[in-house]
Amino acid sequence: MRRFLLARLGGMAVVLSLVAVLVFILTRAAPGDPVAVLLGDQATADDIARVQKVYGLDRSLPEQFVLWLRELARGNLGDSIFLQRPVTQALWERAEPTTLLALLAVAIAALVGVPCGVVSAVFRGRLVDQVFTGFAMLGASVPSFWFGLVLMQIFAVSLGWFPVSGYGEPGASLAARLHCLVLPATVLGVLNSALILRFTRASMLDVLGEDYVRTARAKGLPETRVVLKHALRNALVPIVTVIGLTVALMIGGAVVTETVFGLPGVGNLVVSAVTRRDYPVIQGALLVVAAIYVVINVLIDLLYTVVDPRVNT
Amino acid sequence: MSVAPLRRRIALVAALACAIGLGAPVPSPAQGKSALNLAMIGEPPTLDVQSTPADLVCIIMQHVYETLYTFDAKSNLVPMLAEGLPKVSADGKVYSIALRKGVKLHSGRDLDAEDVVASLKRWMEVSPRGKSVNAQVESLSAKGPLAVEIALKNAYAPLLAQLAMPSGMAAIMAKESLAQPLKEFIGTGPYRFKERRPDQYVLLTRFDGYSARTETPIGYGGKRTATMEELRFVPVPNANTRVEGALAGQFHYADLLPIEALGRLEKATGKVVPLLTPSFGFPYLVFNTKEGSMAQQAVRKAAQTALGPGEMLAAGFGDTRSFIAEGNHFPKGTPFYSDAGTSNYNERDARKSKAQAEQAGYKGEPVRILTSRQYDFHHNMALIMAEQLKRAGFKAELNVVEWATLLQRRADPKLWDIYITHSGLFPEPMLSPPQLGDGAPGWWTSPAKTAALAALNQEPNPAKRGPLWAKVQQVVYDEVPYIQVGKFASLSARSPALEGYTPHTYPFFWNTSLKN
Repeated sequence: MRRFLLARLGGMAVVLSLVAVLVFILTRAAPGDPVAVLLGDQATADDIARVQKVYGLDRSLPEQFVLWLRELARGNLGDSIFLQRPVTQALWERAEPTTLLALLAVAIAALVGVPCGVVSAVFRGRLVDQVFTGFAMLGASVPSFWFGLVLMQIFAVSLGWFPVSGYGEPGASLAARLHCLVLPATVLGVLNSALILRFTRASMLDVLGEDYVRTARAKGLPETRVVLKHALRNALVPIVTVIGLTVALMIGGAVVTETVFGLPGVGNLVVSAVTRRDYPVIQGALLVVAAIYVVINVLIDLLYTVVDPRVNT
Repeated sequence: MSVAPLRRRIALVAALACAIGLGAPVPSPAQGKSALNLAMIGEPPTLDVQSTPADLVCIIMQHVYETLYTFDAKSNLVPMLAEGLPKVSADGKVYSIALRKGVKLHSGRDLDAEDVVASLKRWMEVSPRGKSVNAQVESLSAKGPLAVEIALKNAYAPLLAQLAMPSGMAAIMAKESLAQPLKEFIGTGPYRFKERRPDQYVLLTRFDGYSARTETPIGYGGKRTATMEELRFVPVPNANTRVEGALAGQFHYADLLPIEALGRLEKATGKVVPLLTPSFGFPYLVFNTKEGSMAQQAVRKAAQTALGPGEMLAAGFGDTRSFIAEGNHFPKGTPFYSDAGTSNYNERDARKSKAQAEQAGYKGEPVRILTSRQYDFHHNMALIMAEQLKRAGFKAELNVVEWATLLQRRADPKLWDIYITHSGLFPEPMLSPPQLGDGAPGWWTSPAKTAALAALNQEPNPAKRGPLWAKVQQVVYDEVPYIQVGKFASLSARSPALEGYTPHTYPFFWNTSLKN
């Protein structure tokens, strides 16, 4: 196990170093200039040059890269050009809504996707399977912004049960903040449940055809026990992978949903940073998101050993 | 499964549902403190209102900072922090400004002439408009605790309008707060800055020590009263979400809504009040007069003949209530209204344009139109414009880029021939577009421009400046450095409970209250 962990951590360091280089190159290769955006329509070339100097953007790219790496090694992701605060602080402020949204959405997705996938596999070809498969197709094709606006229209505008957008008023309690997340989490959860449903169904179908399942049935075990204990347990590995990747994807930013519901999350931060070319924020956020991805992948690998002890051998 | 654990689980789920308020009605936005929730188009790029001309920054920070002068409802200049209008020397070069006595800064100290001088000096350094004023200023000094003198190199009539303009504001700040970048926001306005949580809100609270003027409120001028305790400017970048939020009653005011939502807002009587502000702004096409296929004046004239701004506006804005196709740069009834040169507007004559282009020596060089999808109407107008130019024989090429890229590329004369942008419609011609000044993209210079603008800028008598603007407008139609496409209206919405609100280009919320 120790060797496994060390190998994973070593791989993580290599991946993150590559990400750092790529993020810097890609960010700077894109046309556009944060200072031109900051100063607006009437800025002259002289104004732009003056402010570029303030933010060190007048230096050569290799020089900027070395400076960024040096600060990175000290754990400093730099300061946002537009937010007047360090990137780490900006990310930290957005961690709560994004994490809570991701966890709520994944909980909804798993609670809908796994049982429906199991039922779909058990009743393969029957009406219930066709209904669930149809739902999965729909979930994979419906755009999240459309679904979000529909839910908003019904539950926020017509019924007034939830706020249309935002993350609570200044000083809002945790309950009030969670209340704001119900609609966006439902959008993400329901749409992502389609993927989990399909994976669960496919994985269960594979397992249900195995000899040991037939043996369990032949032993006269109740069908519920055969399906839930013998089949589902063995079908869990790909399902856990999908659920884990869904969490990572959402922490990386449920960009569209956060924008539609006006949530101050990481996705929104990255989108506005890209639009304005806020280089330190883009670089810092992508690096942190990449790190989270890698960590979650390692955790998934560790979880495999719990779910399926054969993986460890 | 036994019954007891099942009950426990049900109780747990029920408790969780209660905790997140599932199904509970949304609390009123202004419980506790009296507060307005104001849905804005996004997160402000900065709160330093001097350094950026961004309207969003101005809308928020005009509650915190004030200017020496401002505009009344008819765009006349009226005093704000100044005691009255300035004394101007006979040659129009020296402005003596007396300040109001006892005006409190948010720090509790009284405002004095040193604050004004320091603030204006900073504005003339960091603001693009301030810099253009700086080029005219000989000296700026305090002439006593409450007296400021501005001496100019030459008479410069737009000075007071420049000092009064809300965007890129010549904001008066406490001198000890001045820094680059600003760390503290200490002004004299009816609200003080409390907190900024990016992508969540900018929170302003009532300044109880506010020193209000005594005149009847009119436009941005007169008495300002902060009735509401808090103003919360909430970034809601998705326009449809702003519409839904207004309809749901979550926001007391929602700024800049898509014009397609007008029908829905009109039908939702009792829930929301739609506000249509006509002649809110104007889209314009900037020509590259320095390099490329449009560098020649005669070719630009031919392009002007080919274009039909009426069609472009219809494509850009749809609903006929949301735009006016008119060639006069200022609306009828305003001091700068003129129809000079407008016979060249909206010609849409491909045959005549072709002949003009041939005569000008146009040989099919590409006409690169730089545009962005940041504003849908820019892109939609560009599509029509390209077709109109092609019909007249121009080799029009659309170059659709992101807004940040457009801002960068337009600074390079080698990369474009025409770009599309827009501006608010301001009460003074010299405030926009920047092509009337020096050095703005397009790089328009000509003896006729210099002469016409010098006459306009050096005429101190407001009554005589209207006809002088007409001459500038004529030069713009003759030399085609840019084409004013027409005017567009803006759509916003307010809650029926919000009282005292009157629509302005830069919406403000002093003198407003909530119906009980």
